[in-house]
Amino acid sequence: MTDFAAWLQDSALGVWTRESPSIWAYPTVLTLHTVGLGVLVGANAVIDFRLLGFARRLPIPSLAPLYRFMWAGFAVNAVTGVMLFASDATKKATQPVFYIKLALIAVALVITAMIRKTVVGGPALHDADPGPSRRLAAVSLLLWAGAIAAGRLMAYL
Amino acid sequence: MRILFTSVLAVGFLVCVTPVMAHHSAAAAYDETKRVEAQGTVTKVLVKNPHSWVFLESSDNGQKIQWQIEMGGVTSMAWTKDGLPIGTPVKVTGNPSRAPGTHGLTGAAFAKMDGTPLGPRAGRGEYTPR
Repeated sequence: MTDFAAWLQDSALGVWTRESPSIWAYPTVLTLHTVGLGVLVGANAVIDFRLLGFARRLPIPSLAPLYRFMWAGFAVNAVTGVMLFASDATKKATQPVFYIKLALIAVALVITAMIRKTVVGGPALHDADPGPSRRLAAVSLLLWAGAIAAGRLMAYL
Repeated sequence: MRILFTSVLAVGFLVCVTPVMAHHSAAAAYDETKRVEAQGTVTKVLVKNPHSWVFLESSDNGQKIQWQIEMGGVTSMAWTKDGLPIGTPVKVTGNPSRAPGTHGLTGAAFAKMDGTPLGPRAGRGEYTPR
């Protein structure tokens, strides 16, 4: 892992992200990482809050197109995340909070997929027994908030 | 019931987020109320994102001290990679690091040994605590 991190950090991608004086390098990559986060977690939050009982006039199936925004946000953040990791790989690879962040995202994605399958895919299920999907929605909000906090703490821990 | 639940969520969110916001400033790591001066020669310059660094070695009291000066990112850094040559003698004033046993500075103003400001804006970049 250390060898890989050192190689990645010295790769053209790592050097460019870390050292390019262009406004289109690090500042733009970091901004896109934040925008992607906003789209991914924002769309997630809309569905989660709806399942928790807010904005009841929105029919649950009408929220299904939001998943396309989520995957787009996730794709942007996967790419920009690799670039930001590459820029400082030897440090980030040794930070426990980085692995906590990845684990939180992994579990959050599983929950997101479960919500999509059992709730948005079958609205009748939610109307009959809203309990399970509400619990999933609450867990989803907490996991994404935790992932954001862990990501931000990488700069300070 | 719903208000209670909303409040619990809101408080939980704030508990998660507040310490992060509290850290969102140089004041967490550096003491903005103090200015300290260091003299030494430049030993290393790292021009990189998110923050650049200038390293000095001073030998004031017969004892060698390594100063680590935190600067702005590449776009707001006062010097390019070779803009501040290794071995340049400099005087620096800045806000000291709060970490015990370290010699860190930020918000630094650079000068030649005769006091003349060195570099653009005396080396000051964007990463300057107010």
